[in-house]
Amino acid sequence: MKAFEYATALSTDSARELVADNGAYLAGGNDLLGLLKEYLVPAPSILVNIKSVPNLDKIVRSENKWVIGALVTVGEIERDAEVAKVFPGLHDAAMEIASPQIRNVATVGGNLAQHSRCWYFRHRDTVCLKKGGDLCYARNSENRYHSLFTGNDCISPVVSSLATTFAALDATAIVLRDGKEILMSMAELYQKAWKEIPAHNSLNPGDLILRVRIPTLRSRSAYMQVSDKHAFDWALVSCAAAANVVDGKLSQPRVALGSISSVPHQVEAANQFLEGKPLDDATASQAADMILAGATPLEHNGYKVPMAHALIRRTLLKLKG
Amino acid sequence: MKNTEPEKFGAHSRRTFLKSLGTAAVTAAAAQTQAVAAELEKVNSEKVVGPGAVPVTLNVNGEKLKLMLEPRVTLLDALRNYSSLTGAKEGCDRAACGACTVLMDDLPIYSCQKLAIEAQGCEITTIEGLAKNGKLSPVQQAFWDRDALQCGYCTPGFIMSVTALLKYNPRPTADEVKHACAGNLCRCGTHPHILQAAFQSSGAAVTSKTEVVNA
Amino acid sequence: MPSWPEQPKYISHATTRVDAPAKVTGRARYSSDIQADGWLYGMILRSKWPAAKISEINLDKALQVPGIKAAVKARDGEFTVRFYGEELAAVCGTTKQACLDALRAIEVKAEPRREFVVREDDARKDGAPIVWDGQPNVSPGRSSEHGNVDQAFGECAAVIEGFYTTPIQIHHPMETHGSTVSWTDDGVTAWASTQAISAVRDNLAGALQLDHSQVRVLTEFMGGGFGSKLDNSLDSVLAARLSHEAKAPVRLMLTRFDNSLAVGNRPSSFQKIKIGALADGTLHAFEMENYGTSGISGGANIPAPYIYAVPNTRVKQSAVRVNAGPARAFRAPSHPQASYGMESAMDDLAAKLGVDPLEFRLKNDSNEVRQREYKIGAEKFGWKEKYQKPGSLPGVVKTGIGCAGAAWGAGGPSKRTQGEAQVNPDGSIEFRFGVQDIGTGTKTVIAVVAAEMLGLKPEQITVKVGDTNFPSGPGSGGSTTCASVSPTVFDICTKALEQLQTQSGITDARGDNWFAACKKLGVTPLTIHGQWIQGDPGRPLSSNPAYGVQFAEVAVDTETGLVTVKKIVAVHDCGLIVDTLTLESQINGGIIMGMGYALYEERVMDDLSGVVLNPNFETYKLSGIGDVPEIEITLLNMPERGVIGIGEPATVPTAAAIANAVANAIGARVGSLPITPAKVLAALGKVPPFTASKS
Repeated sequence: MKAFEYATALSTDSARELVADNGAYLAGGNDLLGLLKEYLVPAPSILVNIKSVPNLDKIVRSENKWVIGALVTVGEIERDAEVAKVFPGLHDAAMEIASPQIRNVATVGGNLAQHSRCWYFRHRDTVCLKKGGDLCYARNSENRYHSLFTGNDCISPVVSSLATTFAALDATAIVLRDGKEILMSMAELYQKAWKEIPAHNSLNPGDLILRVRIPTLRSRSAYMQVSDKHAFDWALVSCAAAANVVDGKLSQPRVALGSISSVPHQVEAANQFLEGKPLDDATASQAADMILAGATPLEHNGYKVPMAHALIRRTLLKLKG
Repeated sequence: MKNTEPEKFGAHSRRTFLKSLGTAAVTAAAAQTQAVAAELEKVNSEKVVGPGAVPVTLNVNGEKLKLMLEPRVTLLDALRNYSSLTGAKEGCDRAACGACTVLMDDLPIYSCQKLAIEAQGCEITTIEGLAKNGKLSPVQQAFWDRDALQCGYCTPGFIMSVTALLKYNPRPTADEVKHACAGNLCRCGTHPHILQAAFQSSGAAVTSKTEVVNA
Repeated sequence: MPSWPEQPKYISHATTRVDAPAKVTGRARYSSDIQADGWLYGMILRSKWPAAKISEINLDKALQVPGIKAAVKARDGEFTVRFYGEELAAVCGTTKQACLDALRAIEVKAEPRREFVVREDDARKDGAPIVWDGQPNVSPGRSSEHGNVDQAFGECAAVIEGFYTTPIQIHHPMETHGSTVSWTDDGVTAWASTQAISAVRDNLAGALQLDHSQVRVLTEFMGGGFGSKLDNSLDSVLAARLSHEAKAPVRLMLTRFDNSLAVGNRPSSFQKIKIGALADGTLHAFEMENYGTSGISGGANIPAPYIYAVPNTRVKQSAVRVNAGPARAFRAPSHPQASYGMESAMDDLAAKLGVDPLEFRLKNDSNEVRQREYKIGAEKFGWKEKYQKPGSLPGVVKTGIGCAGAAWGAGGPSKRTQGEAQVNPDGSIEFRFGVQDIGTGTKTVIAVVAAEMLGLKPEQITVKVGDTNFPSGPGSGGSTTCASVSPTVFDICTKALEQLQTQSGITDARGDNWFAACKKLGVTPLTIHGQWIQGDPGRPLSSNPAYGVQFAEVAVDTETGLVTVKKIVAVHDCGLIVDTLTLESQINGGIIMGMGYALYEERVMDDLSGVVLNPNFETYKLSGIGDVPEIEITLLNMPERGVIGIGEPATVPTAAAIANAVANAIGARVGSLPITPAKVLAALGKVPPFTASKS
C-alpha cells in the first residue's frame, strides 16, 4: 500500500470533511485494504476510520420494519437469533459470506459497497475496461465467473450476497450524500454499475451508507448459493427469495439472483407471475424460466444458467418452511 | 526493527482536526511523543496522523506494546516485524488463508487485513498468549495429542480459531467446528486431526478409524 | 545381522510429534520468523511482461527511498524475460513499507514482445509465437512401443477412446519460499525455508564464489515444500547480495503472489488414450499420446500405462513450452497425472465391458500388495454393497464410487545418509542430522527409533536437524527421508551402545542401565558418528517401493454440478511403520492434496496479457476443512521390508478415485481436472451451447 494519513471520525459530518476529495472511509477494511495492497484504485491520501461514528452500529427492531446500521458486522447478523427467526434468508446469506475472520469485521455497508471481484479488475497488471483501459479481457478470455446479463461492456457481476437478499426483502439503503439522506432500493444502489463501465455501484465519492431498512412485510425468506468449494468461496450463483405463504400460495413474492449481473437480478414479470400461485415445483420452474429469459452466456459461464435455474426452484421451495 | 528509534513525529497535514488536543501539545509534539501517544490511545480524537510513523500502543496478551508505526502498517506486520511476536504467520497477506489469525476482543480476525493503528484499545490475543504459566491451553494440548499439525505453519491460526469457537460454543458439532475453521487453510492436510483436537478440547469423545494390519 | 526388533515398544505405535510443543505455542521459529540483529526486510521486483527484452534497470530512485539500504539487479546487462513473474531486481530496507515504495521506484526499460503464448494448445499451433528463439515450442518426450498395437486393437472385444487432461498445479506451501541471509566477512549464514540445506549451501557458495565451508544453512523449522523447495531459487542469492551491500542480515520471503508465478508447479497433461480388452476382460492394447507443459523449460513425461501391464502399447509424448514459470518436482512427479488418465480410462473401459471396475482391476493388476490392499479396502469401504452401474441411481443427488491404485519407487533410501549423536554423562542424548523436517515428522521418527534402540522414551531423545554443520543427509524428496534416517539412527545407536558398554563395563547399557552406564563417562561425552546401513538383506532396515489403493465415495448434485466427497478409504503400505500417528497425518495430507487436484486447483493464465490470473488463495482454491471427507485408513505393516516412505504414494491415486466416483455417479465422464460444477453440468448436457455474441 502507499502511505496515507489516518484519522478517526466521530461524526458523519467530520467523516465527510476528512475524506474530502480523495480520502476513503475505513469500516471493516477488507475490501479497501485489498484494493490498496494491489494498487487497484487511485491511492487515497487519508483513511478515515468511521467505526466510532455513533448510531450506525445497531439493529433497531420495530413492528413493521427493522433498521440495520451500516456498521453492523456480518458476524453480528449471523449470530443474532432474532434475525434467524424473522429474516432466515438474511441469516443464511450472512453465515456463508467469506470466513468467520472476515465476518467479524465486515460491515453491512462495506459488503454492499464492495468493488468488483473480477480477476482482471483485481489483478495489478491488467488495466481492464473498468479501470480505464481499452479492453474487457474477460469477454474474450477467462469469463467463467462473469455475468449472464450486462448493461454495458463491463461484464463483472455484483457479488454482494447481502444485496441479493436485501433485494428479495425489498430493503432500502439510506445513503448520506452531501449532508442529505437519500433512499435507494437495491436496484437503485447498483443502477449506475449497470449503466456505466467504471461504476461498481451508484455511490458517489464521499457517499456513506448509513443503514438499511427492511420491511417485515414478508414473513418468509430464503437464500442459497453454489460455489466450487463448500465454504469460503465466492458464489458462482446465489439466489434469495422472500414472500408470504398463505394457504400454500405465494403473496408478495420476490426473487433475486446474485453473481450473474451487475445489479441484483430481479424480473418484475416473474414476481408478478408468482403472486397468488401455489408454491410448487412447476411454479418455481416457470418463474426460473422467466427470470433467466434473455440471459446471454459467454464462452465459459453458460453453466450458470442451469445452476441458477436449480437455485431459483430450491430457494422458492425453501419458503415452504 | 525491534530497536527502531522513535522518529520525529510525522508532519501535520493541513486538515488537522483537533477536538481534545491543544495547539501547544501539537507544536511540542516532536519532543512529547509520549503525551501524543497517550492521546492517540483515546479514541475520542479526530486528529489526523501520518503518513509517517506515529506512536501506536497495542494491548497484546495482556501487555502493552508501544511501537512507532506508519498508519499503513498492518497488525500482522506490527506483531511479526516490529515486535518479537512471530507466532501469527504471514501466509498470503490477503485475508484468504488464516495463518495470521489473532483474537481481537475474543473474535478471530485476519491480522493481515487490520491496520495496527485501528487495533488500539482492543484486547489482542495471539498464540503466545494462550499458555498460562507454562501450561498449555486445552486446545494447544489437544493439537499436540491428536497430531493436528505437520509443518506447523497454519497451526497458530487454527488454534486461535478453535479457541475462539470453544469460548462461544463449548460443545460444538463437527459442522460447527468446520464452520468456525472455514477461514483457515492448511496445505499439509491436518484437517481430520484438527477436528479430533477440537472434540478432545471440548471434552467430547474422539474416534479414530485408522487400523493397522500386520503382514 | 542388523534388523529391527521383532516386538517393538515404540516403533509401529503412536508417538506424538516431538516438535509439537514448539509449534502449538508459536515458539517455533521459521525462516520467515528469524529476527537476526539489525535485520532488514527484502523484496523482489518481478517482470510484469510475459516476454520482454530488458535493456536497463535503474535503481537510483529506489535507493533514495527512506529506509532503503541496498538494491541489486537480478542479472547484469541486457537480458530476456520469458514469463510473467521472472525476477528483475531486489531491494532491502528497514521496513516492508520502504521496500514496497522502493520497488515502485525502480525504473525498468523493457521492450515487451507482442507475441507470447501461455496455453499449451496455442503453443502447438503452426506459426505460434516461439518461447525460445531458434527452438520449436514442442519437443519430443519419452516414447515407446511394444508388441503390435494396431493389430491388437482389432482383437479386442471392447475399445474406448478418451481424452483426459490435468491442469498446472502449484505447490503453495503455507510458508512461502525465502530465507534470512547474513553475509559478513566470516561467511554466510542462511536460515532458509528449504527441503535441501546442502543444495542451498552449494548454490550460495557457487553464486557468491565462496567456499562451502564459509556457508552455513539452517532450517530448524520450515512451512512445507512438497517438492518446490528442493530446487534453488534466485531469492536466497539476492538476499545474500543485499546483505553484503547493506551490511546487515536480510529477510527476503516471497509473497504469495510470487509463489504463484515463479517457484515451480506440476506440469499439465493432455492424454489421448485408446485402450482395449479381450472378451475375458484382460487388457490387450493401449495407445497414448500425451503432451503437457513445464512452462519455459522441462519435460512433461508420465509413466504409461502406469501400474498396468499391457502386452501391446504405443506411447508418444511431447513437452510444450509456453511463457510461464518452469515446473519443479511436485509430490510424486508425473504420477497423479498418469494415475488420473490411466485409471479413468480403466473405468471407462470397464463401463463399456459392463463389468465392475474393481473386479476389472483385480483381473489386470498383478501386484500382490495392491491385490491385498484392494480386498481389505473393498471390505472396509463396502464396495460390493455400494456398487451400482454408472449413473443408474435415481434422484437429483447421485452417489458414486471409484477406486485407483498407486506405486511409488523413487530412489529408495539415500545410502549416503550420515548422522551423529552426543551422549552426555547425565544420560541426555542429542541426535544431529543434516536433514530437514518439512512437516513429515522426521524429528519424531529419529526420536522413536532411537528410543526403541536404546530402551529409552522418545521424550528423552533430543533431535536437532537442519544445519549444514551436522553430518549430511539427503534433501527431503522422493519419500526417502524416513528410510534414510531410520537405519542411520540404528547404526548410531548400535555404535553408541557398544562404546558405552565397553567404557562402563555394563554389558547391556539399554533401558534401566542407561543412566548408570552414561554416568561412567565421567566428564567426557561420547560423540558417535553413524551412517545408513542396509542390515540383513533378507530383512533389511529399509527398502522400496510402496504401493497403496484408495476408494472414493462422492455425491454429485446433478442440478448444480457440485461434487461432495463423502468418504475416502485408503489402504497403504510403507514397509515397517515407524509412527502410526504421523503416518496417518501424511496419508490424510496426501489425500486432501489429491482431492484439491481433483476438484479445485488450477493455475489460470490469461492469454491476452500473459499474466497468471489467480496468484492468490481466493481464486487458486485449496481444499478447505468443509470439503474434507471422512477418511478411513488401513495401514499394512510389513516389518520384513524395512522402513519405506509414504508422502508421495499417499497422493497418487486420490484424484483418479474421485474422478471415477463422479463418473460412476452421473454416468458421464468429466475428462478434465479440476472437476468443477461447470464441467459436471456440461458433461450432463445441461449447458446451452455457446454461440459467439456480437461484441
